[in-house]
Amino acid sequence: MHATYVIWSKHMTKFWRSTEELLGLALQSVLWVVLFGVGMRGMISNVEGSDYMSYILPGIIALSALGGAVGGGIVLLDERLRGITKEYLVAPIPRLSILLGNASSTATKAMIQAAIMLVVGVLMGARLSLNPFGWIAALLLLALFAIGFSGLALAVAAISRSIMGYHGMIFLFNLPLLFASNALYPLSVLPGWMRVIVMLNPTTYLVDAVRALAFGVPATLPLLLSVAVVLLFAVLGTWLALSLFQRSVLK
Amino acid sequence: MTEMAIEARGLVKRYAEVTAVDGIDLQVPAGMIYAMLGPNGAGKTTTISMLTTLVRPTAGAGRVAGYDLLREAPQVRTRIGVTFQDIVLDNDLTGRQVLDIHGQLYRQPADLRRKRIADLVDLVQLGDAIDRLVKTYSGGMKRRLELARGLMTDPAILFLDEPTQGLDPQNRTGIWGYLRELNRQRGLTVLLTTHYMEEAEALASQVGIVDHGKLVSQGQPTELVAAMGADVIRVRGHGDSAAFLNQVAGLPFVERVETDRASGHLSLYVDQGSRRLVEIIAANTNGYQIEDVTIARPTLADVFLHHTGHALRDE
Repeated sequence: MHATYVIWSKHMTKFWRSTEELLGLALQSVLWVVLFGVGMRGMISNVEGSDYMSYILPGIIALSALGGAVGGGIVLLDERLRGITKEYLVAPIPRLSILLGNASSTATKAMIQAAIMLVVGVLMGARLSLNPFGWIAALLLLALFAIGFSGLALAVAAISRSIMGYHGMIFLFNLPLLFASNALYPLSVLPGWMRVIVMLNPTTYLVDAVRALAFGVPATLPLLLSVAVVLLFAVLGTWLALSLFQRSVLK
Repeated sequence: MTEMAIEARGLVKRYAEVTAVDGIDLQVPAGMIYAMLGPNGAGKTTTISMLTTLVRPTAGAGRVAGYDLLREAPQVRTRIGVTFQDIVLDNDLTGRQVLDIHGQLYRQPADLRRKRIADLVDLVQLGDAIDRLVKTYSGGMKRRLELARGLMTDPAILFLDEPTQGLDPQNRTGIWGYLRELNRQRGLTVLLTTHYMEEAEALASQVGIVDHGKLVSQGQPTELVAAMGADVIRVRGHGDSAAFLNQVAGLPFVERVETDRASGHLSLYVDQGSRRLVEIIAANTNGYQIEDVTIARPTLADVFLHHTGHALRDE
């Protein structure tokens, strides 16, 4: 636990120092909301009874959480490729704490990204629901989702041989997670085959639940089911990261 | 009986296609500087990786600082300091942060960390640079910072994998100086690997020669050299060296002849170099063209050639 905290705080120190990374993260969020959200709003005034900005904001927040997770995975990959992991491996700390340190810093970055996005979205006209418990529940769900995707990113980072390879594999996850979901368009407009894919995507459940909890958009899926799926995603992501990471350090 | 800081029996590491380490036995008494000398790819790094619990041996066993490498790895880890062959540092941290985070990983309290950092900055002469980002450091400063990191937790045994690789002579002798001082003052045990002959000669009280995953010889550098004979006459030339060697090998004062397989250079070990030089050259009647002859005292380089059949060259 102690070593996890040390590694987490080291990563956060490096994160705050890297101004390009910070600026990039913040700008990315703002650009999504401003360019995509505002542009689309001109075309679509409302979806299923809510304004489009409120409708797509949960999806964009999820996407930016993915961006944060990808950045976190790069830290693990970079430390692995440059041999910094060896410093941890010869230290008297549990192997697990190395992964947990990475996972917690990755999830923290994802949450920071999500928070910036939320603020920008609200400034651009998304309407939050009036129930603060809903916001907290939505944030918790987002955190679980961030943990799940951080797990995926770290799992890929644990086995990639290069930064390029890592980006290639992450891209494979990243794009479908957003577009093959209900993040940008309602389930009801999709053809049947795509609906099957969308229903297999954990992003769909996260987005639906966050919409309902934080923005007062009527849920299209049972809330409990959504929570269960997001939780399962978090567990699976962590498990995958753990097993691939252990394989990469046991030599 | 001296207490053994490092003991290994039959260490083997096999990967899918190669055997990196092929049965190494090692005994390093506490307070000694031991150098593993060998070319790149000889298995030195893999051996150090096994002794520092980074890599699990395929076979064999070992104890470091009195603890079993496999069953008591956490105890081993708290008692050793390690620097790696490549420079392994976070460029986006200051030198002070690197040392401080390292101390935190080992659960050193804050006031102890502050004190250790102050002492180590003095020792490795980093001065004000300690508060600069590591990415502004020169190669020599990075190596010195890594050495300080290895010493941060006051280890009983320090493992150094090629500690001066790529350094200029000034930085290299600097690092040798720090190591000698630590060894003398605190009885620090050091196991280092190197492919620099001078490094092994300058630092180590015991040298192990490693080639193709095996420890082919070990002993004090002076003893190893003394065992080679009094003088060596090195002969460089071209033509039929076999016949020439046959002839000189029969001379009563020639103790041994050796050929470097790669370069074809000949080494003739004799009782007295200057006296026998003329006789050696006079023995060359078979058309072997001698181009260059030197007389020297044997060095570790000759020891290396003797035990491995090839010369050790700096890469």
